[in-house]
Amino acid sequence: MLEELSQLWEYRHLLVNLVARDMKVRYKNSVLGFLWSFIVPLAQVATLTVVFKILMGIKAPNYSAYILCAMIPFNFFSLAVLESTTSILAHASLVKKTYFPREILPASVVIANFIHFALAMGVFLLYLVALRFIFPSNPPPIKVTWLLLPVLMVINFMMVMGISLFLSALNTFYEDVKYMTSVFMGIFFYMLPIIYLMEMVIQKTYNHMRYLPLLKAHYFFNPLCYLITAYRKILMPPFNSEVRDVLVRDIPLNYEYLGIAALISFLIMVAGYAFFNSKKWYFAERM
Amino acid sequence: MDAIIVENLHKKFVLHHDRAKSLKRMFTSFKRSPVETYHVLKGINFTVKRGETLAIIGRNGSGKSTMLGMIARIYKPDEGSITVNGRIAPLLELGAGFHPDLSGTENVFLNASILGLKQKEIEKRYDAIVNFSELAAFIDSPIRTYSSGMIARLGFAIAVHTDPDILLVDEVLGVGDASFQEKCENKIRQIKDEGKTIIFVSHSPGAVRSVSTRALWLDSGLVRMDGDVETVLDAYLDTQGTHLENH
Repeated sequence: MLEELSQLWEYRHLLVNLVARDMKVRYKNSVLGFLWSFIVPLAQVATLTVVFKILMGIKAPNYSAYILCAMIPFNFFSLAVLESTTSILAHASLVKKTYFPREILPASVVIANFIHFALAMGVFLLYLVALRFIFPSNPPPIKVTWLLLPVLMVINFMMVMGISLFLSALNTFYEDVKYMTSVFMGIFFYMLPIIYLMEMVIQKTYNHMRYLPLLKAHYFFNPLCYLITAYRKILMPPFNSEVRDVLVRDIPLNYEYLGIAALISFLIMVAGYAFFNSKKWYFAERM
Repeated sequence: MDAIIVENLHKKFVLHHDRAKSLKRMFTSFKRSPVETYHVLKGINFTVKRGETLAIIGRNGSGKSTMLGMIARIYKPDEGSITVNGRIAPLLELGAGFHPDLSGTENVFLNASILGLKQKEIEKRYDAIVNFSELAAFIDSPIRTYSSGMIARLGFAIAVHTDPDILLVDEVLGVGDASFQEKCENKIRQIKDEGKTIIFVSHSPGAVRSVSTRALWLDSGLVRMDGDVETVLDAYLDTQGTHLENH
């Protein structure tokens, strides 16, 4: 793997240029351009706010901010993985004709999406600050734990990179992977605590103790789940409120679980890269 | 010093009879069905000295393009080894890495970095590339507005300005109009005079004669003949039955 990494370093300028290309091309022919990176999640949240506040009658303070806080990382996850899965086949003509480290193709997609993600997160923090002026009575506080945000983002990046390397290599041989990935993204949207909080499920399930260990395993040890929850814990105030007759009590951030998520994410990245390297010489032959 | 050393090189490709191979089959057939392979290169040996110009000739399916792909590091040998000393510029498919929505300038930087150039090296060569391509007036327009001839010209200009030690050419000299073709051939001759190594695959005896000094004749994955360009070309054309026109 060290040899692969030194090859990658040789070609770092290509990686930079491909990331720059991705960023330029994405919104090149649109009038609003870069603003779309914020309009899309805001529109999603606006829709969900209408559903939750008006149709379902949830009256928790700042509930849309809790959704947005999880939605932005999930969008990064799903966009980066979906786009990178097809990145090798999309560049078939290049792969068949020129040598360069193949991992640059999925990696550039992940990095470009990561930059968009970081900007969207920055705007989200501005939005939290702006809430102080919009709702002076009950604003979310500015917390010291905001400083942990880069740590979470790095963990998130490793996980997405590993999954992207794995799926992009596999998709070169079995195009079913592309369809399966988009099906799973639809399932993940509900499996992960995005439009709800993990506390809601866990506390509601105290009546059905049978499922509790399973759910706890899912929400605490699935790195993606815990990561999404961790964003809320470090950026938002504890959520203690009654939602549809269930009293939801905040479960504070557990640094051990976060450490487990970090470790698993790192292993996913290493394993994804190892798998990619074991397959990359066959890409040109199969296409 | 040798530029390329090929020793007992073997390459097999898996034959796809059924391209729609799916995950279903992967999970339902536990025993790996025997894959049919096509033995393209069956033990190739040759050495190219620095500054030599080698033409690879042979009929369709004889392994010429695979050989070029192996030199370009696109495929990995199944057996044997291939050693390449120096930077390679593949003129295999001009403009393969261009993005239609980006301008000519942006594509020059992108394409040159695909060929392994660093940012500063590209900046240094940028003016020469644009001048050679004769596209200065269009260089800020997106590539999708270019004609296919213009794209090939820009692709050629970038590839030859990467300052390669070894140039790989695969039938791409039919680029643009007659005057640009002449310019390309002159440029290749100039690179040759600078003492660079050129590997050249072509079906045109005229082009082979005008550029190369040595020819390697591949016949169903084996070296049939290797030597002086006239001798090898004459022997090759004799077996072809009909003499191709020499232009």
